[in-house]
Amino acid sequence: MSADVTKVLDLENGPTDEELVAQTVKGDLASYDELIRRFQSRLYGVIYHLTSNHEDTNDMLMEVFDKAYRSLPTFRGQSSFYTWIYRIAINRTFNFLEKRKRRQGAMSLNEIDEDGLPKFDLPDPVHRNNPVKSSMLNELQNKLNESMLSLSKEHRTVVTLYDIQGLAHAEIGKIMGTTEGTVRSRLHYAHKQLQKSLGIYLRR
Amino acid sequence: MNQKEDFSELQKLLQLKKLETPGQAYFDRFVDAFHQYQRQEILREEPWYMKVVEVVMEPWIAGVPRLATVATAAACLVAGIAFFLSPIGSNMAPLADGKVAHAKGIIVAANSTEDSLQIQPELIETAAGGEGTQLRPLYVNGHGAVAYDSRLAF
Repeated sequence: MSADVTKVLDLENGPTDEELVAQTVKGDLASYDELIRRFQSRLYGVIYHLTSNHEDTNDMLMEVFDKAYRSLPTFRGQSSFYTWIYRIAINRTFNFLEKRKRRQGAMSLNEIDEDGLPKFDLPDPVHRNNPVKSSMLNELQNKLNESMLSLSKEHRTVVTLYDIQGLAHAEIGKIMGTTEGTVRSRLHYAHKQLQKSLGIYLRR
Repeated sequence: MNQKEDFSELQKLLQLKKLETPGQAYFDRFVDAFHQYQRQEILREEPWYMKVVEVVMEPWIAGVPRLATVATAAACLVAGIAFFLSPIGSNMAPLADGKVAHAKGIIVAANSTEDSLQIQPELIETAAGGEGTQLRPLYVNGHGAVAYDSRLAF
């Protein structure tokens, strides 16, 4: 959903994000609860698709909203709240991923499957009553996650924001602090890489 | 099939990732869980020097100390020694309930019980040095906000 769309929704449903920010800074804590409700699902998605782990995502999401709350008095409104909180989420997730990468050697055995790959948290299969379909879906999602994790965190982020969350190139550029051209080029590279690793699952 | 069409197939496949969501019940409870998280965070907030130690030691724990980290650790050690050897002024303010607020500290006047923290503005004012102290809420919880004065922070 683009920032403009969010703004329109805000106007229809009540105060804008920026109004809620102003109320929060004045001490109206319920306004911050409302901001959390507006962004929790989208930010969950971003963090989850970068970490591929629900437990880590839950912890990170708490941290992000906590950090944003503490930093609100320094929010100058130069960018939209939407861009600002996305940036916090991505930066903190990047830091977390760096730490996780360094600690990978110390991963516990129950976090690793028999192929030596990290286990992924997958949703309950949609086709519970069809074990074959369910198992195929699981396999596909595993492969998808594996391929996503093989990308660099920057490439994974653009795929998440563009392909999964549907943001525009320009918005992604603002969030990541880079140009639209860089976003396009990262996206192109990431698509090529994913296509290479997921080729057998794509119709030709 | 050309390259662009191939990407569109890939993009369709990526839509499967949208299924990986915890469900509405999780999001319905999230705000309450967040309030709980913040209460716990504030009750177990580490002293600043422990945060420094954690940052400095993290690469050793991960097993990859770098030259820059070693230099930073040495600088912190020197700064720490200098800080503790410097003369201590009378910047402690006794509070009404017997607690002592450090003039350089952050949170100075909150009564904490297991479930909640209750702000006592008059105590904060005392610790901050009188009237005109501007208090800002530090965190959201179901029982009220803990406040602090940014001028008191390190």
